[in-house]
Amino acid sequence: MTALAATVRSNIAALMPTFSSAFSGVALLILILIACAAPWLAPYPYDLQNLSIAAQAPSAAHWFGTDEFGRDVLSRVIFGARTSLSVSLVAISLSVTVGILIGAICGYVGGRLDRIVMSIVDLTWSFPEIVLALLIVAIIGPGSSSTVLAISIAYLAQFTRLTRTQIKSLKRQTFVEASLSLGAGPTHIIMRRLLPNVVAPVIVVAMLSTGNAILLEATLGFFGMGVQPPVPSWGAMLSTGSAQLFSAPWVILLPGALIALSVIFINLFGEGVLHALDIKAQARSH
Amino acid sequence: MTSYFIRRLLAMIPVFFVVSGVVFLIVHMVPGDPVDNMMSVGASANQRAEIIARYGLDRSLIEQYLTWLNNIVHGDLGTAIVMRRPVADLIMSNLGHSLALGGWALMFSAVAGLLAGTIAASFQDRWIDHGLMGVSLLGSTVPTFWLGLLMIMLFAVELGWVPVSGARSWTSLILPVITVGLGGMALVARVTRISMVEIAREDFVMLLHAKGLSRWTIQLRHILRHALIPVVTILSLRIGLIVGGSVTVEYVFARPGLGSLLIRALAQRDYPLIQGCLLFLAIAVMLGTLLGDLLQAAMDPRQREDSAQ
Amino acid sequence: MNLGKGKLYGPLFALSFICAGGLLSTAALADTEATFVLPSSQAGATSLDPIRSSLVTLADGLIYDRLVDQDANQTFHPHLATRWETTADGMSWTFHLREGVTFHDGEPFNAQTIAWWIPKFAGTENAFLVSAIDKVEVVDDHTVHFVMKHPDTNLLYNLSSGFMGVPSPKAYDAEGTDYGVKVAVGTGPYKLESIAIGSEAVLVRNPDYTWGGPLSANKGPAKIDKLTLREIADSSTAFLEFKTGGVDLVIDVPSDILAQYKTLDNATIKSQSGFGIYYMPINTTVEPFTDLKVRKATALAINQKEIVDRLFGGKGRAAHNFLIASLPESKVDPTLNISYDPAQAKALLDEAGWKMGSDGIRVKNGKALSVTLVTQSDTEFKRLTEVIQAQLKAVGINAKISVFDSSSIRAEYKKGTQQLAVRSYGWNNADILDWFFSAERLGYPNVSMWKDAKAEALRTKALTGSKTQEERAANFLAYHEYVLSQYPFAPIYEPEQSMVFDKERLVLPAKIDGPQFTAQTVLDISIKE
Repeated sequence: MTALAATVRSNIAALMPTFSSAFSGVALLILILIACAAPWLAPYPYDLQNLSIAAQAPSAAHWFGTDEFGRDVLSRVIFGARTSLSVSLVAISLSVTVGILIGAICGYVGGRLDRIVMSIVDLTWSFPEIVLALLIVAIIGPGSSSTVLAISIAYLAQFTRLTRTQIKSLKRQTFVEASLSLGAGPTHIIMRRLLPNVVAPVIVVAMLSTGNAILLEATLGFFGMGVQPPVPSWGAMLSTGSAQLFSAPWVILLPGALIALSVIFINLFGEGVLHALDIKAQARSH
Repeated sequence: MTSYFIRRLLAMIPVFFVVSGVVFLIVHMVPGDPVDNMMSVGASANQRAEIIARYGLDRSLIEQYLTWLNNIVHGDLGTAIVMRRPVADLIMSNLGHSLALGGWALMFSAVAGLLAGTIAASFQDRWIDHGLMGVSLLGSTVPTFWLGLLMIMLFAVELGWVPVSGARSWTSLILPVITVGLGGMALVARVTRISMVEIAREDFVMLLHAKGLSRWTIQLRHILRHALIPVVTILSLRIGLIVGGSVTVEYVFARPGLGSLLIRALAQRDYPLIQGCLLFLAIAVMLGTLLGDLLQAAMDPRQREDSAQ
Repeated sequence: MNLGKGKLYGPLFALSFICAGGLLSTAALADTEATFVLPSSQAGATSLDPIRSSLVTLADGLIYDRLVDQDANQTFHPHLATRWETTADGMSWTFHLREGVTFHDGEPFNAQTIAWWIPKFAGTENAFLVSAIDKVEVVDDHTVHFVMKHPDTNLLYNLSSGFMGVPSPKAYDAEGTDYGVKVAVGTGPYKLESIAIGSEAVLVRNPDYTWGGPLSANKGPAKIDKLTLREIADSSTAFLEFKTGGVDLVIDVPSDILAQYKTLDNATIKSQSGFGIYYMPINTTVEPFTDLKVRKATALAINQKEIVDRLFGGKGRAAHNFLIASLPESKVDPTLNISYDPAQAKALLDEAGWKMGSDGIRVKNGKALSVTLVTQSDTEFKRLTEVIQAQLKAVGINAKISVFDSSSIRAEYKKGTQQLAVRSYGWNNADILDWFFSAERLGYPNVSMWKDAKAEALRTKALTGSKTQEERAANFLAYHEYVLSQYPFAPIYEPEQSMVFDKERLVLPAKIDGPQFTAQTVLDISIKE
């Protein structure tokens, strides 16, 4: 192999992670835009029933066929993007915010408060995700707000623990002692000195958790708890479509593929962010 | 080490009481009760009151909690109201299935993940790296209930290699284990790869190269050992999965297990059973995390200093 | 090559042939095996103790026999009781018992068994089944006398229930509270081999069985040696098991997956007439449904035929009143039956002051006709509810769906604030009217929150004021007709009970003679030669 070919090959290889994460980032943006533009983009309303054309194979009028009520699958999937993406994004944002708050306080203050609060937070981690989510949805009542709350509580523990561990180890470092001797209060120290160092790993975990949140929302939909019908959600479509796997396979093809693709894109994009942060960290340390 | 272990165990006791309180509270905050699940058409109008009195559901919450707690401390988890069997019996008969599924799945995640991550790290940035990471990623991006169904269709129906569902023989464990294991494998593979790549950049590795050791010896004997530390952390966090099982996988593969027991108990609002299962899960995960911490401390001396705080 | 090894080959070959032959013959012997999938309504039973359980399954039906069996027309036939008489005032019953019946453990079945059995229900959740019986008198070895506290026109129905399978007194007392977990002894065509809770029960044939009831053609031992009853929660998994030959018969197939079974060559679908109704209770105490006209309009807006044809592929029937078609009490005055009539529905709403608004939703005094539509989280309910939502919209009612799980929903009903709900029941007795519309059970099960003096008078007369079964039927018919005239609910659909079996493996009797798939049918199932 010539030297040129080898260089080209290694360059492509080096660019690949950046390429795949850039591609994923763009794809995610497109998905989000589609979700936002749903009412204008979708060819039909998502709840328009027409039982006479129920469970029809893909055709010119309905690119991905119709479901058992004669509703257009493509339109329902586009609106479903809204549900799945918004529920998971909001849930994870909530989880991150509350998690960082609790983790920072526990990590900084320590002592008995730390032990008691962490044992309650760890409790959420020890129950299976779906059991926790079902409990919360049952307590609060049905609706998208309980779905969001259930998902955010399910992932709270990891952000809390992450922040707490980082804060605890950073707390002992000399720059904190220096700030304290200069007269800085605890709030200032937490907000201005410690948290910025926590942000990077939390962002990465948050991104990866968003993928899991989409899956958890789908599983909740599978058990029948989640957004209320007729609002579409990818998970609920997957669940009801499974019964027609052999007689009407087109019903689950699109939502299933989109769930997988969204999670893949989120993960690849997250890898890219990690990679970029890693390069920055390396650059800083040299 | 032993003193650390004992100290941690003792610290679990107050946590146990907090956990039991939270569990009891959560369970009773959920609307509904077990009584309607026990009455059939034709029952008299005052049967509800009879059942409530019989199971002490009319007493104050505090009283019920203290009675339950008192029984637990004496080793009695109580009797399920709707299912009518001792809670301990129900948990024990389902535990074996959950442990089998969860344990083997964890081992699959660990072994397959380590393998994939090591190979990917060793051939970093080449096609085999991207290929392996891509395939393992795919396994964790599809919802488990769907992955399970797809695996059944391919391996049990089309190829006929394994049974479709049930828990009769060891062959019926294969598909569920792979379905659950694939989810964890991606994470393990990724963490292994990243930590091996990072460690390979460290100075001591350069020293080993300079000493003339072969590439594979360095990869496997030195780097991998250090890379195992974060992997053990990740795996110990997934211990909850072993005991709680993967509920959707149990559902799709028609396997009994602690997860489905819990779901059914929840659906029927069988208070003693739900409380017993949740408490059991919480304790099991706490013990599991303790085990994971001990393993880490054994492998990484730096952790021991932290824990002495 | 080592000749020493070669010398082993001959005997090894012979040995393997013998083994294979042995295996083949055992395979032939064990050929009369079958696996059935239990319906989801029978999932989760934790013991085979019919007296104390809250759930009985087909396993109980096969291990135990009952005094009386019910056929598909809801009439009663003798089984362990050969005949019975009752006095005109209904205060006394005499049952003549079959002779020569023994339990699996060899104990005899006779009048002493019954005298031991009835009092055992005291203190259990099933006590109501025998609450009318004051005491049991043993007349002779095969005759018992029930002295009643009050007439019980429902006695035969209760005696035919799965909860009244007769267990062996000796085994029952010996095991105590553990009875039914490892040991379950009855007089039935099958004995219990093993049970894995939440998974499967394995039953083996009782070779001494010679007392099959009149509803089975086969009076002797069952034709299938070993029967495995499995619980499979996911209908897709059950389908795949059937496709690969893992199971031979699926007892209750949900309507949405029935189409998939039709794609298989070896699947035969057999249907029985309905065992229950899907209906929509209307809360009579909450606006706007306090107005009878609005209730009637809502009920008339349901297009039952479209639901049957489009949602359920033409299987089952439209429901026009509260009872299943096979019950005599369902034969009400035809003018009272509730059927789709959108024109009248719209006219009634206009009359009640609800005028059609510009967005398709009716308005009255500035308020839009928006109502809550509550349903359970199972797929069948959600599907039906979504279609109903659309049908209500077509007459100008805007229904907002709320999905709850089955236990939360009962708590929700008890609050009494719901307006509409989609529910179902599975029961083949007219007293279901009492269960769901009695003023003593407001909230749940009386989701309609219906309290009406005339209804209560008719109800009490039907439930406790009848002396004979004919009187009871007539009284319940009158009550039923009054209920219909007040529109506290809208009838929707009476599903067929569908089951699927592998026609290359099993031979089933032409007619399934029972209200559901029960033991008497299993006795007639054989393996295809």
